[in-house]
Amino acid sequence: MDFVSLFLLDLVKQLQSPTLGFLIGGMVIAALGSQLVIPEAICQIIVFMLLTKIGLTGGIAIRTSNLTEMILPAAFAVIVGILVVFIARYTLARLPKVKTVDAIATGGLFGAVSGSTMAAALTLLEEQNISYEAWAGAFYPFMDIPALVTAIVVANIYLNKKRRATVQSSLEGTLSRQPVAAGDFSDPQDYPSTRQEYRGRQQAPGGNRVQIWPIIQESLQGPALSAMLLGLALGIFTRPESVYESFYNPLFRGLLSVLMVVMGMEAWSRVGELRKVAQWYVVYSVVAPFVHGLIAFGLGMIAHYTMGFSMGGVVVLAVIASSSSDISGPPTLRAGIPSANPSAYIGASTAVGTPVAIGLCIPFFIGLAQAIGG
Amino acid sequence: MAKPAKKLVIVTEKVLMKKVAHIIEACGATGYTVLDTGGKGSRNVRSSGHFSVSDTEANVKFEVITDSRDLAEKIADEIAISFFNDYAGIAYICDAEVLYGHSFCGPEGC
Repeated sequence: MDFVSLFLLDLVKQLQSPTLGFLIGGMVIAALGSQLVIPEAICQIIVFMLLTKIGLTGGIAIRTSNLTEMILPAAFAVIVGILVVFIARYTLARLPKVKTVDAIATGGLFGAVSGSTMAAALTLLEEQNISYEAWAGAFYPFMDIPALVTAIVVANIYLNKKRRATVQSSLEGTLSRQPVAAGDFSDPQDYPSTRQEYRGRQQAPGGNRVQIWPIIQESLQGPALSAMLLGLALGIFTRPESVYESFYNPLFRGLLSVLMVVMGMEAWSRVGELRKVAQWYVVYSVVAPFVHGLIAFGLGMIAHYTMGFSMGGVVVLAVIASSSSDISGPPTLRAGIPSANPSAYIGASTAVGTPVAIGLCIPFFIGLAQAIGG
Repeated sequence: MAKPAKKLVIVTEKVLMKKVAHIIEACGATGYTVLDTGGKGSRNVRSSGHFSVSDTEANVKFEVITDSRDLAEKIADEIAISFFNDYAGIAYICDAEVLYGHSFCGPEGC
């Protein structure tokens, strides 16, 4: 009972933190039809600042820490990233009215990491005075890239299989209609109705093989990850302490609050889009962050007991698992799985997944860690 | 003297910008103009001025001046087959007359 009451008390306290307050505030003013616009360029700069700061913190910490400690949690991050896609493939995809490709893309996006969610978690941990390994932010790419790559590979394997099946059946169809063939198009209904269809038929169909390297490259080149990696490299190889203390660190929380308002407004504006796709996405995007986070939390606890990985670090691992990508993930998936409906996966992630991850999962996992760790 | 030309206009998603530009060049056009744009089409309102964290919601408009209709059609076909089944997009062609453009050669040569 003590555990539960401690946990609930903590949850309420977390909900009052400025980070979450701004997020909810953003949703409220968007719901009330506010005309507030925060320019896109400012958001890009904020994302750059936040991720560079996280990278710098990690880089400075890596310089003085034992890298072997990182191996196990980083491996867990990779495992969770891949696992999340398969969870979506075998749960969400099986639900009625959910298209398999859409489900796989949604899984990829939920497996990928949101920089802003991670930044919010790190801020809350600092507010609570819970210590965590400063390099924990560097897990980002270890979970992000495997999730996106797995999603794109799994989706393309599925699509190629499906395409082969339809080619086979249509081939059988034409063979049976062969006798009436006159000219190139045997039947009026086979006649291409648009110019695009006609030209498309002149190209060999052929299955397209997925190349993994371009996906990794594209993820690394994304705005969030490249900023973080730059920060990481600068933290390791240069002495950025002066600019870190005077610029990146003091501005971090303020900028995060602005980004939270934007994310809240964005979430609200996407709700309508989500309404057009199957309702199961809403169920998935509420449940999935908790499931993914709990898996990562469990794995993190293994590292906690075996390697002395801190409880704060376990929370970071759990939160990045429960977060869903909002900046660099969507364009990568859009390019990698073009036939998936972006309204489904971006809607699920931005409208429900991210607010749930920030508003409920972060307090939940911090509360859980405090209740377990005392 | 105004040189007769064709103007091919392609409005599509911003995520495709690099790929479309690549196709235009690969087909042999010597240049193009790109504009950030927005509007409404069969797939919904896109980039109507409201903020978006990633570029998946923005549109771009390509304008390509070509000296022959064949080249314009070749570019449009290539792009339509590669992308328009899965992405928002439209391509249309207009008649144009190039008044000033030092490097532009019309059908009769430079």
